[in-house]
Amino acid sequence: MTRYVIGRLGGVVVILLAVCLFTYLIFFKLSPDPAVMICGKTCTPDRIDSIRDVLGLNQPLLTQFWEFLRGIVAGRDYGTVHCSAPCLGYSFQTNESVWNMLTTRLPVSITVAVGAAVLWLLAGVAGGLISAIKQGTWWDRSAMALALTGVSVPNYVLALVLQYVLVVKLQVLPFPAAPAFADNPVLWFESYLMPWTVLAVGYACLYARLTRANVIDTLAENFLRTARAKGLSRPLILRRHALRPALTPITTIFGMDFAGLLGGALITETVFGLNGIGKLAADSIAKNDQPVIMAVTLLAAFFVVVGNVVVDLVYTALDPRVRVTSS
Amino acid sequence: MLAGLVLSGTLVLSACSGNAAGGESQTSAGPGGPAAQGGTVQVLANAAFSHLDPVRGFDGGVNNFYRLIYRTLTTQGAAPGTEGTKIGPDLATDTGTPSDGGKTWTFTLKDGLFFETGAPITSADVKFGVSRAWDPEIGIGSPYAKQLIDAPASYQGPYKSGDLPTIATPDAKTIVFHLKKPFADFGSVVAQNTFVPVPKGAGAGTELDSKPIASGPYKVSEYKAGASLKLVRNDKWDAKTDPVRKAKPDGFQWTFDLDGATIDERMIAGQGTDVDAIAGTIQAATVARVQTPQLKQRTLTGLGGCTTYMGLNTTKKPLNDVRVRQAINFAVNKQTVRDAVGGSTLAELATSIQPPTVLGRVDYDPYPSPEGKGDVAAAQKLLTEAGLTNGFTFTLDTRAQPKMQAMAVAIQQALKPLKIDVKINIIDTSTYYEVIGTPSQQHDAAITGWCPDWPSGATFLPPLFDGRNIVAKGNSNLAQLNDPAVNAKIDEISQIKDVNAANAAYGELDKQIMALAPVVPLLYEKVLTLVGSNIAGAYLHDGYSGGIDLVSVGLTDAGK
Amino acid sequence: MTVAGPRTPTLLEVEEVGLAGDPGGGPPTSTGRILGKLARDKAALLCLVFLLIVVLMAVFAPLITKLSGWGPDEFDSGAINSDLGGVPHGSLGGISGEHWFGVEPQNGRDLFARIVYGARVSITIALSATVLTGILGVVFGLLAGFYRGWVDQAISRVMDFLMAFPALIFMIAILSSLPAGNRPVLLVVVISAFGWPYLARVIRGQTMTLANREFVEAARASGAKNVALVFREILPNLRGSIIVMTTLSVPGYIGTEAGLSFLGVGVTPPTASWGQMISSSVSWYSVDPMFFAIPGTFLFLTVLSLTVLGDKIRSVIDAGEAT
Repeated sequence: MTRYVIGRLGGVVVILLAVCLFTYLIFFKLSPDPAVMICGKTCTPDRIDSIRDVLGLNQPLLTQFWEFLRGIVAGRDYGTVHCSAPCLGYSFQTNESVWNMLTTRLPVSITVAVGAAVLWLLAGVAGGLISAIKQGTWWDRSAMALALTGVSVPNYVLALVLQYVLVVKLQVLPFPAAPAFADNPVLWFESYLMPWTVLAVGYACLYARLTRANVIDTLAENFLRTARAKGLSRPLILRRHALRPALTPITTIFGMDFAGLLGGALITETVFGLNGIGKLAADSIAKNDQPVIMAVTLLAAFFVVVGNVVVDLVYTALDPRVRVTSS
Repeated sequence: MLAGLVLSGTLVLSACSGNAAGGESQTSAGPGGPAAQGGTVQVLANAAFSHLDPVRGFDGGVNNFYRLIYRTLTTQGAAPGTEGTKIGPDLATDTGTPSDGGKTWTFTLKDGLFFETGAPITSADVKFGVSRAWDPEIGIGSPYAKQLIDAPASYQGPYKSGDLPTIATPDAKTIVFHLKKPFADFGSVVAQNTFVPVPKGAGAGTELDSKPIASGPYKVSEYKAGASLKLVRNDKWDAKTDPVRKAKPDGFQWTFDLDGATIDERMIAGQGTDVDAIAGTIQAATVARVQTPQLKQRTLTGLGGCTTYMGLNTTKKPLNDVRVRQAINFAVNKQTVRDAVGGSTLAELATSIQPPTVLGRVDYDPYPSPEGKGDVAAAQKLLTEAGLTNGFTFTLDTRAQPKMQAMAVAIQQALKPLKIDVKINIIDTSTYYEVIGTPSQQHDAAITGWCPDWPSGATFLPPLFDGRNIVAKGNSNLAQLNDPAVNAKIDEISQIKDVNAANAAYGELDKQIMALAPVVPLLYEKVLTLVGSNIAGAYLHDGYSGGIDLVSVGLTDAGK
Repeated sequence: MTVAGPRTPTLLEVEEVGLAGDPGGGPPTSTGRILGKLARDKAALLCLVFLLIVVLMAVFAPLITKLSGWGPDEFDSGAINSDLGGVPHGSLGGISGEHWFGVEPQNGRDLFARIVYGARVSITIALSATVLTGILGVVFGLLAGFYRGWVDQAISRVMDFLMAFPALIFMIAILSSLPAGNRPVLLVVVISAFGWPYLARVIRGQTMTLANREFVEAARASGAKNVALVFREILPNLRGSIIVMTTLSVPGYIGTEAGLSFLGVGVTPPTASWGQMISSSVSWYSVDPMFFAIPGTFLFLTVLSLTVLGDKIRSVIDAGEAT
């Protein structure tokens, strides 16, 4: 088991390095010269040259990439600017270390992701479960129709509809301002309610469909037929035998989805003006702030790849069938 | 200076600024009423300040903010209209004494000046602050000190090259500048950010960008880059030495990185601390919502002091034909261009190159059309003369920003009836000015803007139209106009000693240039801002791109 | 075991679409039977009719706008109020006999014409991306599944890599730094580049299973070449999965294109696309709700119709294979 974990972690590092290199190469070719941006309005060709020198932009590409990697571990200096480890680069457009930019915005993204995840897990799994138990009834049919509708609404459209109805027309919610929790817990909750809902709807619908299909499949499996033959009651079978195998695949998907969101819910954050990683990504892309784009891509990839590993490990622990084959 | 990239307009004189809250409402409550002592003014902002280091930052927004924490030898007034752009003494006792025919300038510091650290502000500190402008990495802001003050060619700022010998400090209160050539208005130059005192030896690298050393009424107590900035009183500042800054509130709190829509929503709702808030210009979509009497009472409006225009590259075919450029000037529908930025409340139609806020500017329209909607017939006639009955294709550079793209589309649409096919080339915002400022990369036309840094056409027409200023990089003569008559006229005006006569001459030069149609003046954009219901003492300052003058703003009720 | 089926090749946040099942390699279901079944399903029929309308709109856009009187790029300054920031005159976003769906604020462009032309963009891009991902996914999936060994290793690693990538961020970043060029083509290429592994993974798995089946073994024993094996024996058996996966991915691509245009990296102005329209409507939602309601409704109904249809096709195929 330990060897397996170490092996997987090695894989993580390799994928991250690949993502890193790939991103670096692409943006190296596509990006405007960062020296030009630092140079400012009263720029001269000489100054650009000296800035390029300071930033190491005159060095071969791979050397620069190596410097970038080294900076993550050891920190680095850009001329007079020091960027302490872990240095993911320095944004000369905002005069901030990229690491700082990420860490100040991560809490917002985590708040958005966690709140939405709780919502969609509760709604999705419960809805799917009830549908599976009441398979074929009007409840099942309307719930599944609703789920299909839900996955079809683009979340920016949903966001606009909710804002128009709840904020402008009914005025039951304030315009999302995202204050600190400690300052005003009620306003905090009200502000995040819409982003959570918007983000959760698509996933909830998906999870409902998935849960329903899995529970129905599991109920049809042999070991449950045996259990029923032994005279166990239906609720007991459901609780003790059917739920776990039916929900294990959900764990896998959930891990991946959740990890994906930690890297920023780009559209939701942008629409609601929440200063999370996603909005940072959108803003940096609009400004072509290359070090930030690079770091956000890397952070998002990090969450996805690590999420993958965690999911696999949890999966192994949860599902007896997998445990047997892998040990 | 380029509008949008950097908005300075440090010394814009203005004759025309329709402040909603003018002098007449001084007694009543509302944005124009008297501010009480105390409280904290909230500022909701879209983008963070470019730099807190005074030698680095150079745009209307930071220039306005710098006055809260920094002082300069002289400074602009603090009042609406032309009063606000009058230069008066600040750290210095007067606006300077010239000698040697205007080539040497002497300033004397007042008594009782201190940094926030408690250390006295001496002439050596002023000198040290100015000399930082020569540092190639730091001195990226206002270029005037470097352009005017004599210095060794190899000088690279105090950290690299040490003392700057051409600025003398005979004693702790006196500072003497030696210029490259006589300059009559040097008293205005020392109001630039570069003349902020910095304690000798401090401020290397990005030190001041994170922790400024205050000489003004406030100091930075907490700064989260890109997120928030908190100012508290600098108790070492003595109001008796400072006739300009009212500095009524006890502090300021900036919140950066807010969405334009979020700011507008919060300002309209005006809940909680937002009653004490001020913000920038509202979005076009918000205009219709601020028409109620209650909200109207909270709005301030005035001209931003810049001209938005489309430069036509006179070196490219067929734009090298003056008739074609004139035809485009006739054909562009300025109404639709204005609607693209938010309609009549957010901009006025431009006819001349210089905006109404520039002194000596003549109001005229060389290419008139009914209501500015474009005169296609007149344009068609000129194109026929030029042999282009079947139209042509040209590429229009614009910024990757919805407003700029919308303007480009409006122009594209207006030229369609002439069979002129406009290809819109969208350039990333961060490199836009770099690309269009490089003659080898710019296309046929580009939408951009210009704001004056100087009280006259001197900082407007020569940088944009002097043919000898066309450079390979950082070029601002986008039209690449190199007309001997225009060049000669520019030289002639620079010899005029009387400022008013020179301004009037620039007004005539504006007409002379527009006859050649190197640009299409599009709009004079306006500021329309909504303030919180508890805001007092607020007016738009003509010297800071129409921003609310921060040294005068305060709260009606400081206890709220 | 019912593992979570292959995810549709799309961006989670932009558009989430139902899961394809785990189609086995049973006998192919005939197209006629699928259509027959769908024709008897009321919901499916409704979706088909709506999609048909959208497609007809797209195809005959120039004719339709000639009838309605306004082109997609024509300004109508008379329809907006310049003094109020450019808000449309009249209620409901300026809906009138002149402008059937009202006008766009700030320029008065006809929303009906822009919806009609926007359908062109959305559908062309989504279908092209579907075709391209289909080809890439099938080819690489087959290669990996059939040859195994290092070919499989190489292809699988690339797929892992692409799927680990934060695709949305990366797509926007790439699109925003590329020169404008031919936007629609770029959009198709970028969407497909990140979309194919999802199909390829399924094809690979099924090819591996199929390659070991008796009928393939038999064909191989009788001396059939590899190419013949793939095209005659394996590919026909993958038809069901390919149909299901691709139909389910179309709504995803429609949503992705709209999402990218919404984020400002899609088609360039003045081209109309539904995502671009919704994007411009964001700041106007409280003053002019029709401006987002109209393109939003079209986008939603199109995605919904495609999703329902894909779902129905899958259940028909699944049912066909179960028997």
